[in-house]
Amino acid sequence: MNPVLARRLVGAGVLVVLLALPWMINPYAISTVSRILVFALLAISVNLLTGVTGLPTLGQSAYFGVGAYTGAIVATTVTAVGPVQMLLAALAGAVAAAVTGPVAMRARGVAFLMITLAIGEIAYTAAGRLDPITHGTDGFSGIPPVVPLPGLPPLVIDGLVYYYVLAGFLLLYAVVAVLLRSPFGLALRGLRDNEARLRAVGYPTTAFALTIYCLTGALAGAAGSLWTSAQRFVAPGDMGFQVAALALLAVIIGGLGSMWGSCVGAALVVLTRDYLGGYVAGHGPLLLGILFVLVVYLLPRGLAGTSWRRGSGRSRSRQEART
Amino acid sequence: MLDWLDANLVSMVDGVAYGLLLFTLAVGLSLVFGMMDVLNLAHGTLYLLGAYAAYALSDGSWLGLLVAVVVGLLVGVAGGGLLAALTQPLASRGHLDQALLTLGIAFIAADVLAAVFGSEVLPTAPPNGLTGSASILGHNYPVYRLAFIGIAGALAALVYLLFERSSLGALVRATVADRDMVRAGGIDTRKVMFGVFAFGAALATLGGVLGAPILAPGPGVDETVLVLSLVVVVVGGLGSVPGALLGALLIGQVQTLGVALMPAYAPFLLFGAMLVVLAWRPDGLVSLVRRA
Amino acid sequence: MDARIRRPQRLALVAAAAAMALTACGGGLGSEADSSSGPVKIGLLVPQSGVYKSLGDDMKNGWELYLDQHDGQLGGREVDTVLADEGETADTGKSAADRLVKQEQVLAVTGVVSSATMNGVVDLFETGGVPLVGSNASPTTLTDAEYIWRTSYVNDEPGKALGAYVAENVDGPVYLLAADYQAGIDEVEGFKETFLEAGGEVADEVYTPFPTTTNFQPFLANLQKSGAEAVFTFYAGGAAVDFVKQYDAFGLAGKVDHYSAGFLTEGGVLDAQGAAAEGTFTAMNYNHDLDNETNQEFVQAYEEAYGMKPTTYAMASYDAAQVLDKAIESAGDDLTSETLNAAIGEVGEIDSPRGTWSFNDNGTPVQTWYLREVQAADGGMANVVVDELGELG
Repeated sequence: MNPVLARRLVGAGVLVVLLALPWMINPYAISTVSRILVFALLAISVNLLTGVTGLPTLGQSAYFGVGAYTGAIVATTVTAVGPVQMLLAALAGAVAAAVTGPVAMRARGVAFLMITLAIGEIAYTAAGRLDPITHGTDGFSGIPPVVPLPGLPPLVIDGLVYYYVLAGFLLLYAVVAVLLRSPFGLALRGLRDNEARLRAVGYPTTAFALTIYCLTGALAGAAGSLWTSAQRFVAPGDMGFQVAALALLAVIIGGLGSMWGSCVGAALVVLTRDYLGGYVAGHGPLLLGILFVLVVYLLPRGLAGTSWRRGSGRSRSRQEART
Repeated sequence: MLDWLDANLVSMVDGVAYGLLLFTLAVGLSLVFGMMDVLNLAHGTLYLLGAYAAYALSDGSWLGLLVAVVVGLLVGVAGGGLLAALTQPLASRGHLDQALLTLGIAFIAADVLAAVFGSEVLPTAPPNGLTGSASILGHNYPVYRLAFIGIAGALAALVYLLFERSSLGALVRATVADRDMVRAGGIDTRKVMFGVFAFGAALATLGGVLGAPILAPGPGVDETVLVLSLVVVVVGGLGSVPGALLGALLIGQVQTLGVALMPAYAPFLLFGAMLVVLAWRPDGLVSLVRRA
Repeated sequence: MDARIRRPQRLALVAAAAAMALTACGGGLGSEADSSSGPVKIGLLVPQSGVYKSLGDDMKNGWELYLDQHDGQLGGREVDTVLADEGETADTGKSAADRLVKQEQVLAVTGVVSSATMNGVVDLFETGGVPLVGSNASPTTLTDAEYIWRTSYVNDEPGKALGAYVAENVDGPVYLLAADYQAGIDEVEGFKETFLEAGGEVADEVYTPFPTTTNFQPFLANLQKSGAEAVFTFYAGGAAVDFVKQYDAFGLAGKVDHYSAGFLTEGGVLDAQGAAAEGTFTAMNYNHDLDNETNQEFVQAYEEAYGMKPTTYAMASYDAAQVLDKAIESAGDDLTSETLNAAIGEVGEIDSPRGTWSFNDNGTPVQTWYLREVQAADGGMANVVVDELGELG
């Protein structure tokens, strides 16, 4: 079968399954899938920075948190209309990224990783301390149910909330897919492969890097507002180092650079820790550790292998030459 | 001036103790990273192994401590060798894969250790001669921490001399700088790298054995140690022993004197300091020391 | 792209879809529990991993002891306890609570250690109409919940209980030092409320980063510099061990009186602290040496079953079982989550190891608080009740 047709069929099949899910599984399971979709969006934002642009990051959870809290504040003070919350959350995420990005841009590789870690940890601590805004370490509760479009009733049933989250997920996934196929997207891959050469040819690499940093900040922020809509509760723990690390690991498992790989990686990590972990209460991290070790040895290129159209077959070592 | 000194002297001394503890933890990570380009996120686990060994074997007597040290060193060497062997196949695959593997190992090890030792933090008593408090200029200070400054200081000096003044150290530094040239000279760099990995791991476990009375073992301590080590390594500069020492002493002071002077900003000081250093010297403090 | 890479891609997607379909076997929407006889499902939501695991174990012990003493029945009905791991974060706690209520469809839930988790699940229980008989967490902001009960206390009560006593017994300024998260802030606020009202003077109010602080030396140095006569603290778990040991090692024990919320020396942490804790005063709603018959029987049975003395966490969980026992019995044949919740509101006085107590309008206990001092006792250290601090609630 023609590979492109096969891909399209698989994609369509997945879409059908996702749409039919609330009719097939119970409310707890469907709310878990909502959480997986949001985490997958976070993983996609990490993938954009790490897999596509070659900037390994542990700081995306900070912008995710900024978006989540923005969504919560908007929901309780301005409007319960979801898309408005999402827009404002994306904006907040972009602004936060723009403010903190220049500090990180001075470095590459491990130094960049550590700077983003610092950003993430500082944001986490700040979220716990800014009691008047974030309600501190006990978390932000009392968030009203989300209204999908002005005039529609608020969504309370888990299945309907899931559809809202799914709509947001598909929208953002499409936006990122378009971005990756654009000339900008190709330039990002050039950044990953050889920044010096790209700069020598006249591309403003630092400006590009900062731009993608802000765009992924916006994406993470939008994902954060979806989290708030799904959970109706935000706590500093939703944006800490553990979340950032798991997102990065999900991307590595899925295969650096692959969008659908990041999604499946995210699903795998969440299901392993929460679903399988539920059967061995207390040993969720053990299962994750085993998953990581197995993936590293058995799937050297992650679940997706190489998945971008040009330059297929490029090995990981070249791809990571500068991380 | 004297008033200020009197009020903060103990914090500064504690900063030295803490800094030397951080050095023993971070130097192995820095060397392995600088030398083998391997990002070992199981480093905190090595500390934990040493600290649990101290808890289990150090019963207050000097013999107990000695046994704990020996066991700790053996476990460290074995652990380092094991990690080197496991990361060998990933040598060309970049840091993120190494991060995935070593973090997986760290998760598994943490679960096993929690199953064996329980889920509480286990305080470890120093040997009987070193318990209690001494008086520094009228202020109480634990005797063990003073002793630790002496021991860890000697250890730091030893490591420094080994790496900067001996021919073995020269070999290691050469391998950090240009692995292929060294190999061209006929030396099996793999043995050098295994050796460095084992040595760095043994230092971390030894840090655990000696540091347990200061930073006791328990779930989550491996993550704390890992983050601290990474910060020190990045602040000091990768692959450099003098850099690790400078970075460790600086972070030690930040976490003690810094916190005493600015308690309201205590949670931000560690990463704040790291960001300041990286903004000023992106390659770490070692670039101050090293000649161009 | 060659076909070899296609297979893992397809397999992974099929596996993910299959995993989701499998969860459907857990039951569709709306299976009704048999309301007049047969076993009842109660969810036990406690940490089984992470830093709060020891509290979770204590609560599980207390719950199971009560069930063992009553042939595994509450209110005459067989009980099927569904254990869920609350984990360390509000996220894991919420997810586990969701599973209990939506998938396992339990009649009621008990437990919950973390206040953040409790805040996160309020909506779940209120809109789902399922009672939560919490046995530890109790945020001060939770004031008008219909379905949420706590058998423990409110987070600022240990501090509130001590404030007046410290103001009367300490001659000089008092330093306030606590872990920097909501529980610590609540305790200090509670302490200040009664302390300042009784005319006390605060030297300074400092919070230590939580959970990252393991070296308290800088904070202890500042405490010494301040010239305070006494200090009020809040620490729990590993931080409590580190703090108390360093308090002694840096020479403050014996020089600056140490008052704290009872968690500082409760349970395993006291064994870890050893002689360093001697002379520390704490406020708690329970102690294993309380002189009443219910407590003596409880302590004996607990020691026999688990080899250690019970903590306030175990006792609160034991009481939660008693609350559910009485409520299930009085709800009678028509036992649903709603009728059970109404019955919990009418349980009246509970004869507990801590004394007798009853729920107030807030769903928290009206109970006596005790002042304890850490003293040497048969081969180790123990909390000994030295005074009563009055009733709160």
